[in-house]
Amino acid sequence: MAPSRSSRNSLQSVDLRALDYLTVPSANLLCPICHSPLITPVQTRCLHTFCSACISLSLDRSLSCPVDRKPLSHDDVTPAPIMIANLVNDLPVLCPNRERGCTASCARWLVESHVREDCEYASVKCAKEGCDGMVERREAEGECVHEEVQCEYCEGSVKKVDLESHNRECPKLSSECPHCLQAFANPELAAHMAECPEEIVECSASCYGCSYTSRRSDIESHTSTCHFVALSPVLQLHAERIATLELENKAIRQKLDLLVPPRPLPTPTSSTVTTTASNPMSASSQVSSTTTAGRDMTSEMQDYTFHLYSEYEQLRSDVERLNAQIRELDVKQDMARINEGLRYNDEMTGVRAAINGLRMQLHWLLANRREAGTSSPATSGNAGRAVAGGSANGGEIRRMSDSARQVVKL
Amino acid sequence: MSAIKRIGRELKEFNDNPLPNISAGPASEDDLFKWNVILTAPPGSPYTGGIFTLRLELPQEYPFKPPTLSFTTKIYHPNVSNDDKGSMCLGILRSDSWKPSCKISQVLEMAAGLLKEPNVDDAVETGIAEEYKNNYEQFAKTAREWTRKHAK
Repeated sequence: MAPSRSSRNSLQSVDLRALDYLTVPSANLLCPICHSPLITPVQTRCLHTFCSACISLSLDRSLSCPVDRKPLSHDDVTPAPIMIANLVNDLPVLCPNRERGCTASCARWLVESHVREDCEYASVKCAKEGCDGMVERREAEGECVHEEVQCEYCEGSVKKVDLESHNRECPKLSSECPHCLQAFANPELAAHMAECPEEIVECSASCYGCSYTSRRSDIESHTSTCHFVALSPVLQLHAERIATLELENKAIRQKLDLLVPPRPLPTPTSSTVTTTASNPMSASSQVSSTTTAGRDMTSEMQDYTFHLYSEYEQLRSDVERLNAQIRELDVKQDMARINEGLRYNDEMTGVRAAINGLRMQLHWLLANRREAGTSSPATSGNAGRAVAGGSANGGEIRRMSDSARQVVKL
Repeated sequence: MSAIKRIGRELKEFNDNPLPNISAGPASEDDLFKWNVILTAPPGSPYTGGIFTLRLELPQEYPFKPPTLSFTTKIYHPNVSNDDKGSMCLGILRSDSWKPSCKISQVLEMAAGLLKEPNVDDAVETGIAEEYKNNYEQFAKTAREWTRKHAK
């Protein structure tokens, strides 16, 4: 035992924070940060106790006490009273190799030495000189399991520790076929499984809808009568054609996505019509050529498409610009016309007013003339009579003319 | 990963000592940083009878950074933001007053306590807080209505 003892020390490290405790430790012994029993307890100036690792992590982030938020620096942290350290170190823990089968439990401060020196389940270096393998301590006393041994069936060399998994695939060993339950040598098993007469297989036309299944040995009789099998050459042809068409469709859709802009077209003018009319043709010719050339969109064709597309875009923007200009002109002309009309209207009203004025004057003049026409013959008659009849009857005549004038006036 | 260890420890502790009216646990087995929480409103509040789901997200730096708590059920509450986030920003959850010694169970207890007694002096929704102070009847009516509509 003496010579191998030191070499058999386990190098396995123990994570104290991951340990399971035999009893529930008092809440007073838990670190407020990691909530596990204190590991290397330290104390702050404000008399709170933490794991040394936890408080330094916390101080790296914020220079305050994690419990009362008082300012704190790394210098304010000192080792906790030895009594606290003893209390947590004496807590009984379970061996970290519990899952491998170790049932030992010991005080926490002993667990590292337990794993290093005693635990039967800790992994240690293999005892054999020159072997680098690791092995559980309980198996270290026996012969080295990392030695190459000869497989008793296939005579190949296998590491002892791998022997179990090797036996599952050793070519000289046999396994059972899951379908016919016969034993076959391991290398032949796969070949047998592919043609085992007992395996339940589907009809060869199952992909076209035949749901018949039976043992492989019986499937032959079904195949000779199955309608799906009889039709399968045609169906296959159709399937192939559909696949080609789908691919072609995809290519065409790609082209279409390139050619047709996402926004709606403006009212097409003759130039855009010609470009759009020429595009589908070139696209379809491209598509047919791509499908024959393995449906790959070559960069050349892509360039061509882009060229066409950019040309088309340019034309469209031209048309849009022209449209806008026409609209602008329209609006301008409308405005001008309306302005002109307004001006004419004004002039008209002016002219009308002037004509009205003239008419009024004319009326007045006419009335005046008429008045003058009725009074002047009387005076001339009077004058004639006065010349002819003498002035003796002048007063009478004047009176008569007066009355006549009054009648006219009335 | 100290965060995972601590969260695992807290989860175990929480499962061993469950809190009344609160059920909580990680949303999925392999992500301990996202918890789903279900609060049953305590009797004697306008939310009585409502079942509220919350989301608790723990930062990778937990416990050095505070977790965030948000209501996924809509709630009419002065301390819960009335948007699609429903976040609860309050006292111990603020990064400047968060203490690494604070536990998830304490955070959840605080959330449950707020259903009973909203903290109007530290409100997110100041409008609701005003209403709570000045017109409690109206507040209680709306809160009850929302509870009936969203939390049942």
